Amino acid sequence: MGDSGDDPALVAQTLAGDRAAFGTLVERYAPQARRVARAVLGDPDDADDAAQDGFLSALVKLEQYDPRRPFGPWLMRIVANAATDRRRRRNVRRAEPLDPSLVGGGPRPDAVAVRSELGHRLRAALAELPERRRAAVVLFDVEGYSHAEIAGILGIPEGTARSEVFHGRRSLRALLEDWKE
Amino acid sequence: MNNPELFDHRPDPELGTALRAALQPADDSAFVRRVMANYDRALERATVPTWEVLASWFRPGLAAAIVALIAGFVFGQAVLNSRTPESMETAMAPVEGPGLAALVTAPDPPDPSVVFTSLVESR
Repeated sequence: MGDSGDDPALVAQTLAGDRAAFGTLVERYAPQARRVARAVLGDPDDADDAAQDGFLSALVKLEQYDPRRPFGPWLMRIVANAATDRRRRRNVRRAEPLDPSLVGGGPRPDAVAVRSELGHRLRAALAELPERRRAAVVLFDVEGYSHAEIAGILGIPEGTARSEVFHGRRSLRALLEDWKE
Repeated sequence: MNNPELFDHRPDPELGTALRAALQPADDSAFVRRVMANYDRALERATVPTWEVLASWFRPGLAAAIVALIAGFVFGQAVLNSRTPESMETAMAPVEGPGLAALVTAPDPPDPSVVFTSLVESR
């Protein structure tokens, strides 16, 4: 999860108006925030919008952050909420389910970077999972958060977080095994 | 489902690597620039210069001052022009006729029309 030891100091500097400190936090957590948002939303552009909303929302709420606790889960909760809100708005706007072809990337500029067949399949498989399960498995296996932290990020009991991770990775592991064969 | 042995407490490196590659966003630096540009815009909106605040107050403030001046002038004129009786005698004195004292001390009963006229005039 990167060098997060000085996060509280960076938060304090940001609160004091230090632009560079906020920039360091954004640089540090941008890849993670964008992945988590993409796990929820599927579409990379929507995910970036949600991740950006998350960072700016975190900036507004920064005084509420408890420096005795790790910054990452606090930020990821805001990002996940921003992504969920955006997804709800999008669903109201489009009134249709998540499009797997959209999740697969399609002819997008960043498709060049993630055009492997396995990547397409994994994204499509993720899109088939319920939203909370997608986020849980990505937070656990990609971002390395504990079940307790995932529970805090997603606002669910720890047992539910364990269950979501378990069921999510079972589907994805099966896909991975098929791919290897 | 409640048995903790069902759950693996460690991340799966193979699945994690594959998912990371599948979800890896392109060009983090462009994203960071975009967020910081929005940070700057939000900061600009939040910090409005003092003179702009004062300027925004100028017109309504000026209008309020003019209204207050006019109201003060009208009130002052009304107070100055109002005739306040200097004494009870002045107040009771009729504009015309023998007056209330003459009516009270007269041996004959007064003409009712004179009494009413006197009362109305004293108001």
